[in-house]
Amino acid sequence: MERNIREEFSKRLTRALGKEFSLRWETDSKGVITGWCRLHDARHITNVALIVAELGGRVITITAYKTKDEQQRDNHEIAYHFDLDGCTCTVTIEIPWDCGKVNSITPILKSADWTERELQELYGIQLVGHPNPKRLFLDDSIDEGIMNKLIPLSVAMQGATTKTLWEKVFAAISNEGDAE
Amino acid sequence: MSTYTIPVGPLHVALEEPMYFQVQVEGETIVGLEITAGHVHRGLEYLAMKRNIYQNLTLLERLCSLCSNNHPFTYCMALEKIAGIKIPERAEYLRVIADEIKRIASNLFNIAMLAHIIGFDSLFMHVMEVREIVQDTKETIYGNRMDLAANCIGGVKYDLSDEKIKYLIKQLDKLKKPLEEIIDIYMNNKFVRARTEGVGILPKDEALRYGVVGPVARGSGVNNDVRVKSPYAAYDRLKVNVPLETGCDVRARAIVRLREIQEAINIIQQCLKDLPDGPTCIDYLPEIPAGEAVAKSEAPRGELIYYLRTNGSDIPERIKWRVPTYMNWEALKVMMPGNKVADIPLIINSIDPCISCTER
Repeated sequence: MERNIREEFSKRLTRALGKEFSLRWETDSKGVITGWCRLHDARHITNVALIVAELGGRVITITAYKTKDEQQRDNHEIAYHFDLDGCTCTVTIEIPWDCGKVNSITPILKSADWTERELQELYGIQLVGHPNPKRLFLDDSIDEGIMNKLIPLSVAMQGATTKTLWEKVFAAISNEGDAE
Repeated sequence: MSTYTIPVGPLHVALEEPMYFQVQVEGETIVGLEITAGHVHRGLEYLAMKRNIYQNLTLLERLCSLCSNNHPFTYCMALEKIAGIKIPERAEYLRVIADEIKRIASNLFNIAMLAHIIGFDSLFMHVMEVREIVQDTKETIYGNRMDLAANCIGGVKYDLSDEKIKYLIKQLDKLKKPLEEIIDIYMNNKFVRARTEGVGILPKDEALRYGVVGPVARGSGVNNDVRVKSPYAAYDRLKVNVPLETGCDVRARAIVRLREIQEAINIIQQCLKDLPDGPTCIDYLPEIPAGEAVAKSEAPRGELIYYLRTNGSDIPERIKWRVPTYMNWEALKVMMPGNKVADIPLIINSIDPCISCTER
């Protein structure tokens, strides 16, 4: 079954995108197949979503992340993790920093709904055509794209907790010193 | 009839964790639902990218309590894929045992909550008492009642002596009879049936469209159990029966969870029978090269996925996980309409919501 769906996915992808993608499959020691695909043009993600929908697949999740492009400029990439009858296929696209937009696939695959909203609020990548693009978890008082920024760990962890912990550590160390 | 909007939550007696629902009703009948999340968002994905890969093992186990074992388990599998580590066979079985013990305790908790919500508190107490057998087992074997700290990169941190194996077999036997009685009550008691049958319907086509996972999917006849669909650890050598129900309602989801407890007991027994000798962990601290990997496991609530990117340093470049409940929230918009106001907490409980997991 998995083998058929893998071939079917590759065939349909070639028919829709020609040579505008790269795709490889890995099989682990348990025989589980994982696909890794990269699209040359980010706009083609809707074509991929249509193929996944036709094959009865779903979105497992979507990962956005900050990275560098070939010229070492800041860049975003989005990895879409699709399920094709137990086989996970990750399809990655690049979103140039100055573009900051991506076509929503939620109208095609409902399972992308929350995870698209989350990547929008965390990385500030605008969704085009999402039926309900409002905030998911973050309060409006927090800037969109918070994951693009550097937040010191002490702030992220709330200084109070850290301070209390260190006071305990210092107290323990000074007691040890007294004993010696 | 006039339409009203009732706020439920974020703090509500029947909700275990904070979530805010705006429920539109006509009379006593639900016609629509809006979900507002984010009350326990702790920025854990950000924190995980500031710590090194070894520290994250501890952090990720503290993401949630009921399915805490699945997080370090799946995270380790992703790291092991990137580093090409083959873990000892005994460790694969021990990982399965830890996971299935957690599944039993987690499912019993949800089943108990169902009884509490429908006002059957003696049943609630009884199920929680039976769950204590599992809690005691965890405490005896792992030293903890919730976070087991069973996993490490390249294997597990615990081993089962002959004495502990005997103890575990005895504890599992102790569970069987009360479990059968509990299943009989949930399936046949007329009060339980009256409250759960035909409530919170999620038809199979909608379950597929929303991409729901775990017992929510299996209660609607959709089998996407990761243990069977993409086996990991020792599951490729174990016989795993996946209970499927077609009722698509609160009752069907509860029965799936109960049947999965019986199946978990079977799986642990198979593991104990086949448990190979040998080491439980690799004997070196591995270096993780640059790479990317996807790892999945079947948590008590369904499919859990980890996506990990590393760059050769010991700080992960990106670590992303999606918990099963995440996929099941939106499906409440299908389950709720047409039901009565009194069934709101019952339907929410039927997706076995884990909010601290969902929001991270």
